[in-house]
Amino acid sequence: MLVFRKPLTGIDRPQMEADVVIVGGGPAGLACALRLSQLIDEHNSKHPDQQLSKENIYVLEKAREIGQHCLSGALLDPRSMRELLPGFEKEAPIEAEVTKEAVYFLTKGGKFKLPITPPPLRDHGNYVISLNRFAKWLGEKVEAAGITVFSGFAGSELLLEGECVTGVRTDDKGVDKSNQPKGNFEPGYDLKAKVVILAEGTRGSLTKQLVARFGLDRDRNPMTYGVGVKELWELPPGRIAPGEVIYTMGWPLTTHEYGGAWIYGGKDNVISLGFVTGLDYPDPRLDPQRVLQEFKLHPMVRALLEGGKMIRYGAKSLPYGGWWAIPPVAGDGWLILGDSAGFLNSQRLKGIHLAIKSGMLAAETGFEALAQNDFSAARLAGYQRRVESSWIKDELWRVRNFHQGFEHGMWAGMFHAGLQQITGGRGLHARYPATAGHLRLKKLAQLPAAGGAEAHLINDYKGDGKLTFDKLTDLYHSGTKHEEDQPAHLVIHDTNICNTRCVTEFGNPCQHFCPASVYEMVEAADVQGGKQIHLNPSNCVHCKTCDIMDPYEIITWVPPEGGGGPNYDGM
Amino acid sequence: MKILVCMKQVPQKDAPLKLNESGTWIREDVSYEVNEPDAYALEEALRQKEKHGGEVVVITAGPARAQQVLREALAKGADRAIHLEDPAFVTFDAANIARAFAGAIKEEKFDLVFTGLQSDDFGFAQTGVILSELLGWPHATIIMQIEKADGGIKVKRELEAGYFQYVEMPLPAVLTIQSGINKLRYATLIGIKQAKNKPLRKVALADVQPSLVANQLNIQRLYVPQKAKKTEMLEGPPADVARKLTEKLKNEVRVL
Amino acid sequence: MILVIVEQREGKLNRVSFETLTGAQAIARETGWTLEAAVVGSGVGEIAKEVAGKKLAKVYDIESPQLAAYTPDAFVAALKPFIADQKPTLVLMPHTYQVRDFAPKLATALGRALVSDCTGYKKEGDKLLFVRQMFQGKFAADVAFAGEPPYFATFQTGAFRGDQVEAGVAPAAVETVQADVPASALRNKPGEVFKEAKQAVDLTQAEIIVSVGRGIKEEKNIALARQLAEALGGEIAASRPICDAGWLPMDRQIGSSGQTVAPKLYVALGISGAIQHIVGMKGSRTIVAVNKDSEAPIFEVADIGIVGNLFEVIPPLVEEIKKAKAT
Repeated sequence: MLVFRKPLTGIDRPQMEADVVIVGGGPAGLACALRLSQLIDEHNSKHPDQQLSKENIYVLEKAREIGQHCLSGALLDPRSMRELLPGFEKEAPIEAEVTKEAVYFLTKGGKFKLPITPPPLRDHGNYVISLNRFAKWLGEKVEAAGITVFSGFAGSELLLEGECVTGVRTDDKGVDKSNQPKGNFEPGYDLKAKVVILAEGTRGSLTKQLVARFGLDRDRNPMTYGVGVKELWELPPGRIAPGEVIYTMGWPLTTHEYGGAWIYGGKDNVISLGFVTGLDYPDPRLDPQRVLQEFKLHPMVRALLEGGKMIRYGAKSLPYGGWWAIPPVAGDGWLILGDSAGFLNSQRLKGIHLAIKSGMLAAETGFEALAQNDFSAARLAGYQRRVESSWIKDELWRVRNFHQGFEHGMWAGMFHAGLQQITGGRGLHARYPATAGHLRLKKLAQLPAAGGAEAHLINDYKGDGKLTFDKLTDLYHSGTKHEEDQPAHLVIHDTNICNTRCVTEFGNPCQHFCPASVYEMVEAADVQGGKQIHLNPSNCVHCKTCDIMDPYEIITWVPPEGGGGPNYDGM
Repeated sequence: MKILVCMKQVPQKDAPLKLNESGTWIREDVSYEVNEPDAYALEEALRQKEKHGGEVVVITAGPARAQQVLREALAKGADRAIHLEDPAFVTFDAANIARAFAGAIKEEKFDLVFTGLQSDDFGFAQTGVILSELLGWPHATIIMQIEKADGGIKVKRELEAGYFQYVEMPLPAVLTIQSGINKLRYATLIGIKQAKNKPLRKVALADVQPSLVANQLNIQRLYVPQKAKKTEMLEGPPADVARKLTEKLKNEVRVL
Repeated sequence: MILVIVEQREGKLNRVSFETLTGAQAIARETGWTLEAAVVGSGVGEIAKEVAGKKLAKVYDIESPQLAAYTPDAFVAALKPFIADQKPTLVLMPHTYQVRDFAPKLATALGRALVSDCTGYKKEGDKLLFVRQMFQGKFAADVAFAGEPPYFATFQTGAFRGDQVEAGVAPAAVETVQADVPASALRNKPGEVFKEAKQAVDLTQAEIIVSVGRGIKEEKNIALARQLAEALGGEIAASRPICDAGWLPMDRQIGSSGQTVAPKLYVALGISGAIQHIVGMKGSRTIVAVNKDSEAPIFEVADIGIVGNLFEVIPPLVEEIKKAKAT
């Protein structure tokens, strides 16, 4: 009997009052906390008789430690970090400065290097970083600045009063598989806050609640996503230089799919390697983890990885929707930052610098609110205005139609992209529409049984254990751990659909698109269809792909008990 | 009851560990966590305090990063913390750690000292017992239960193969606590906040140096155990295979 | 001189002591040091005589009425002056719960160090190193003593083979030593030893484990694995999917999200060998795997592999084992 996680009702919850609660200790949330602290310090030194306190500013982070759930390639555009901490390069953990880039178009056995690196992918002046290490370092600065970080605590529900967000409820701890309190049960707190700043990263669960509750996606494009599957490799020396950046397109994807790979040279002979697959592919049997394995079999990549050792694995979705898909980011009692809002430049494949900038802008509004003790919607709207008049807008406006241009295939996308390049981002229309990715999944009946062009991506494979890996082996290297005895946090609103409809219509794609083998259809004699859904929730790497991609929109990802999840050391 | 809980920070259980350059220890750039058996020792101490009142003090010896273990303990309800802070502590043998602890608590009067069963990294299982001898106190190991009794305490000791024993002891005493006897409590938000204002005393290596001696045990080398594994496949019909396997279990593996 | 302190409980010799003797005899052969043994207790002369039948120079029967029941104080009070007097280079003991309880105290009382839970030793030149597992079996360490003897070490169960201990040509001399243990030295008052159905099973203590995986197909088939476990005198365990399905309780789970074990014998039935499971049992002394898939990764860590249908292999196996045990 599957029991899903739900905050307990009818219990006394401890209350805590806060001024500001930042949900999420990633680059956006931490930059916000740090900037807020700077502004408060500045204010306090100028107004010794009107001190503002940091006592009631909190960051909630669901991982056991800051950084453990942070995963990205990553390349950092230092623009916003230089604003936040001038000279940060001297003390921040940086893998390497980008020295050279190359873009390849791959075919099954061959490769074609683009003679000129397209300007958006030119990374000179950018840094190869490990977002996990970077966030850890930022987190230390936030704590040193005197702002309390509650790590191991997830935001499970928004607290609302009328049309106003009044706080966040944290996760119930110590509930068993049937959602019953155990001996060490601790109810989640009702953290009342004057402003809740949502910095949950991609496909935030509270953000999703907020958008649904207030219809924030009205008049917006649906947000579209990709999923990045990443491995960290230790290579023999000399294979790739620190700071060397490689992008690929084409193989193993076909013209039906959007995506490509990255390879970044870090230090100590460790490279970051990954494949992003757009979550709008037609064949529901496609498996993004499998795509990465297939990619490694390409002669160019195989030669690069020969003799190396895979040391870490992880996956995370990323919001591609762009400017038209970003909801209002300020409202009555709330602000949205970073990937939760969708501040990602899909053309440059960068979002960390935008996340940091959004955090800084939110901090400026937050500081004003604190100083004036005015947290009204009107005051908080200042953040919206700041974003719209900042370089976040400038940068995202130029690529506002980029991803949508690819909805009709790669060549169409390239054509539109080229056009957009010379029209300041406009292209053929002021605003290109978008389709939610999961709606583009075709039914099995409409697809060739053996997969057609995608055949090489959907047959059974085990991996060779050295260069390529089966999903469970890869998963083991993500360091994922959860309290085992807790309810399933992948809330499936109607499990009957799994074995009555989905099994025949789409073939239960959750088994394929989840990079962590959370979902399995297992034999069950007494159930219609002979198979039923089985969950392995403790495998979950918190990538949110299931929440995005399930064709019936019946999966809602909610945070499991805080402290659990992957451990992206070095990622 | 005034209880001291000795705690250790160890590499996370599933962390990918790498040998350092000299091959005598692991590289430090991994994630750390509290030694799980020590978390159980802390839990028992907090329960004793809830039952009988008193104070729970936590102590650890290690680099700056080890402070995390103390903070978590304070957040769970410990009253005070002592941090013997120095990276060198990672290189000390169990006896020296026990000596350092003894030196740091000279001025205090504890009723009980708890340690976990053993550490997840070294697995020596000695620090508590050594400490008891240095302090001149009675001790008992692998304790499941502690009750107040006339003249001291009555503890339940775990023995092999499902056997147990009750032992009466006077106070003060050192106990090593069995893991898994209680469910570990969670730190709460208010606990974490309050922890920031609880006393955390730092003790420098120099302050306990007089209590220390040169290490009497040294790790010459640390290495990945090589297993020359050759899998012997048994073939044939099930009856044959059963016979062959039984023979091996009897004569080679020696379990029959 | 090497001194082995054998263990007796309630007047009975703990046979794991022979393993320690085997190890000590090996060291004696390599170093040329004499080997002596001691038993500590009250009225344990018979045990001393039995030990004297092995190949060693002398056995000491350390007696005191205060040693009738085990207490760390009494044992240390008896052994400390004895060892200070005898001045052995090496003191060896089996790593039992009882030894864990007093040996560190004894070593510290003499101002010495103890290296515990060793899986073996190495002689490099004239240096004696003790090998032990670290980081839950991920690494091994060679540990050296610094400073003056005596050096103390305890050996893990199974590090040496008790049945390989060499018998003596003639019984060794047994010397009774009256230990001076004043009653006032005993601070602990031990009660009766009793057995209790344990609440949680501790698989890390089991010597033999029979573990089932998905290949067992249905819950009712676990009975077959239980039969094998019973015949072998071992514990039943499982990989994650079995416990997830509720067919066995969570405390029987072996693997990265369950327990890590290293028993003498691990029998894996219908377990594929995903890395999450392997990390929980690869330290086992002997691994026997039965799986119908010849490519199952479990065979990479198995010492003995059987590609076959476990439902066909287990019944005759249970019979053969019962037969072998009866003879």
